[in-house]
Amino acid sequence: MNDKKIGLGSVIATGVGLVVASSCLLTLGIGAGSIGTPFIITMIIACCVNIFTLLSIAELNSMMPDLTGGLAQFSLACVGPFITIICMVGGYLLCNSLAGSVEGAVFGNTFAEMFAGLGLPAWVFSLVLIAFLAITNLNGVDVFIKVQDFVAYALIFSLAAMGVLGALGIGTGEVIEQPAALATDFKSVTGLCGLAFFLFVGGEYVIPLNKSCKNAKRDIPLGMVLSMLIILAMQTFLTLGFKNYTEWEDMTGSTTPQMLYGMALLGPMGRYWMLIITLLAAVSSVNTIMGSLAYILMGMSKIGLLPEFFQKKNSKGAPYVGILLEAAIFLVLNITGLSSTDSISYMISVLAVLWLISYIVSNINVILLRKRLPAAPRNFKTPCGYLVPILGIAGSAYMIYNIDPSWDVKLSLYRVVLITMAALAVYSFTWVKFRINRPLFKPYPIKEVMAMENELYFRFHSRKGLDEIDKKANRRKAV
Amino acid sequence: MKVAIEELSKVEIITKEAKVAELTKNFGKFGITGMTIYEAKGCGVQLGTQEYEAEKNTTPQLLSKQVVMVVLPSREVDGFLDFVEKSLYTGHIGDGKIFVTPVTNAVRVRTGEEGMDALKEGALD
Repeated sequence: MNDKKIGLGSVIATGVGLVVASSCLLTLGIGAGSIGTPFIITMIIACCVNIFTLLSIAELNSMMPDLTGGLAQFSLACVGPFITIICMVGGYLLCNSLAGSVEGAVFGNTFAEMFAGLGLPAWVFSLVLIAFLAITNLNGVDVFIKVQDFVAYALIFSLAAMGVLGALGIGTGEVIEQPAALATDFKSVTGLCGLAFFLFVGGEYVIPLNKSCKNAKRDIPLGMVLSMLIILAMQTFLTLGFKNYTEWEDMTGSTTPQMLYGMALLGPMGRYWMLIITLLAAVSSVNTIMGSLAYILMGMSKIGLLPEFFQKKNSKGAPYVGILLEAAIFLVLNITGLSSTDSISYMISVLAVLWLISYIVSNINVILLRKRLPAAPRNFKTPCGYLVPILGIAGSAYMIYNIDPSWDVKLSLYRVVLITMAALAVYSFTWVKFRINRPLFKPYPIKEVMAMENELYFRFHSRKGLDEIDKKANRRKAV
Repeated sequence: MKVAIEELSKVEIITKEAKVAELTKNFGKFGITGMTIYEAKGCGVQLGTQEYEAEKNTTPQLLSKQVVMVVLPSREVDGFLDFVEKSLYTGHIGDGKIFVTPVTNAVRVRTGEEGMDALKEGALD
């Protein structure tokens, strides 16, 4: 039986579903509310830069297919363990932890607003959700897997429908008069690139579909690019809809701008529609991040970049250390006041910088591998020589520079990121030098990175594993 | 012996059995009308060491492989090799080896046709 049955349509649906999280609706509200419809230009810039990076990642994937650790394993084969741990293990995992926390906060805020009469703070709802999902994940149950596709399609359909209705001004609500553009100068438009970047982040999540794709060589890169373009179209329609139905200043001040828009566009029905979509998207995202990060941590531990305890599994087969750690991070960030728009927006910016750094490293990886293995077969190669990875690097650096229009906020963000990177550098240096005992900057051979994917690799390369193998051999000899 | 009009090359591909069916499916695109596949045992520079093993074998351990042998016009070889490499590539040790050798002539015994004529559907049939 042929188990490769996913086509281009499914790749696109998965890509859009995974990238569009509930926090994207908040980001869109903040961005559009700040400068009006020129935010569409900001989104186009961010979308293009993301496409360049995704093409680079697709090339890396074609050279090292079917790896579970993704970007970290690509980097290990290109820039060595020191940078990989800082940018990919630390940076990338931190990004995802923040992303999960932000999704939890959006869930809490939406619930708190709907049930304002209860007088409970938003983090209480986030806590209930995170605790519930942690318990189900610890029991080895993915509660959401059966409705994951439905949520993806519902999200795409709903956002597209609400965007088009709003853009054409044919909602049941009243069309308002307000200027289309609040700022059109270059600085304002590009100053929100970092925020807009968050709307397209995560296209690389499509890569694990490689194994089940009918025509992975064509569908993975094409699916990633088309997902980005579809998201851009949806967000563009929504921005035009915001202009017709919602006051710009209301959008920036709200923690749930999508609810405001739903109410203004279609009345209470629109509000409930948006509520259901937001909740489903938030629950799906928190669940996906919590579950998949635990496995990514386990995978990184297998390749020697994280301590061994991340490989421990409970009686249900769930990597419980990772699940508990992620749940704890989500809870702490939510309880310590992530619920306000400002703190979510700040957190998203920190997250975007860390994510952009990992994207820059991914683009550098492509250039390094082209130099090192020019003749190796690549089922997908970015067109025009080095142009795409170079544009990816330049674009990502440009977005880091334009992460926020205010210099004070920008400097504060850079400080947080630098402190985080410095702490990760200390961990990385100590770990690489004294634990795995490898040269800091020497890349691993691709064949070794690929071999590490094999479950037996860790047994054959750890003292504990070798002892077990020796014991078995001795027992056999004795018999 | 007559000299073949068109230059021919023999390509021998040593790879895992699991890859052969997928690989041979698209051979027609390169003007390949026939092929020979045989089982073989052998090892490469790793002397049969599994990719996850920490220490390299000191004595060769022969692994089961399959050899796909085809003869095709030399002008098609570059495109064909590109296709084979991309089809077999996984990044893992053991993806395979390809050997290319020139063929001075080919003869279809039944009709006496030579060179490329011996490999194509026979004009004399």
